[in-house]
Amino acid sequence: MRFMMLVIPKAYENAKADFVPSAELVAKMTKYNESLTKAGVLLGLEGLTPPVRAARVKFSGGKAKATDGPFTEAKELVGGYWMIQAKSKQEAVEWATRAPMLDGDIIEVRQVQEIEDFPEDVRKAAGR
Amino acid sequence: MRFMIIVKADKNSEAGVLPDQKILSEMGKFNEQLVKAGVMLAGEGLHPSSKGARMRFSGTKRTVIDGPFTESKELIAGFWLWQVKSKDEAIEWLKRAPFDGGTEVEIRQVFEADDFGPALTPELRAQEERVRAQAARQARKT
Repeated sequence: MRFMMLVIPKAYENAKADFVPSAELVAKMTKYNESLTKAGVLLGLEGLTPPVRAARVKFSGGKAKATDGPFTEAKELVGGYWMIQAKSKQEAVEWATRAPMLDGDIIEVRQVQEIEDFPEDVRKAAGR
Repeated sequence: MRFMIIVKADKNSEAGVLPDQKILSEMGKFNEQLVKAGVMLAGEGLHPSSKGARMRFSGTKRTVIDGPFTESKELIAGFWLWQVKSKDEAIEWLKRAPFDGGTEVEIRQVFEADDFGPALTPELRAQEERVRAQAARQARKT
């Protein structure tokens, strides 16, 4: 099973456009990333720039409308993720426990859909 | 530049309702265009938050809460990673996606190693590159 560990950093509630993580945090993260690699569970990882630099597109009535950030009303926006291979949600949650997060941060663990999760007609329609 | 295109969850995705054939074939076509243009790097869908968990960090304390997270307005249903020249190009591509009915999608720029400046020392950078190469090998195996 694949899981995403979605990081929801407290600091992203009001991070400025030029925000970058501190040297101390970068060092801790690199160490944690290496522990995931050594265990053979890491499949991918990315960090996202602050929400103030984001854009949103809303699709309604056949139209797509784009708006630039910041989105002051938005809470709990993602700041990055790890994708890992784990045998169960519990195992994924255990990996999340060891992540070097700051006070008030959240990690959301979400299972990734596999093609086998879809019924056969849906797989056919998707060409798989 | 790389961007993460985040599709927000809605009632259907949270209820585990699978997309119908029409949406699937339209999405398949759109994905094909992205691949042909060399824009598409990755794309995944997520199971509903009812199958997930959240962990809250406070000092040395970790509190686990099982899903669903009905109170959250920013839940994610899926994402793409795209390689494009600018945020505007990402917006242009996204506008062609076969969504409707109030779906909201967020465009977020991905950090590249150069963005971190001196915080990413040469040693950390080399370590990070090893981690990424290893993760890519592991992903190909699964």
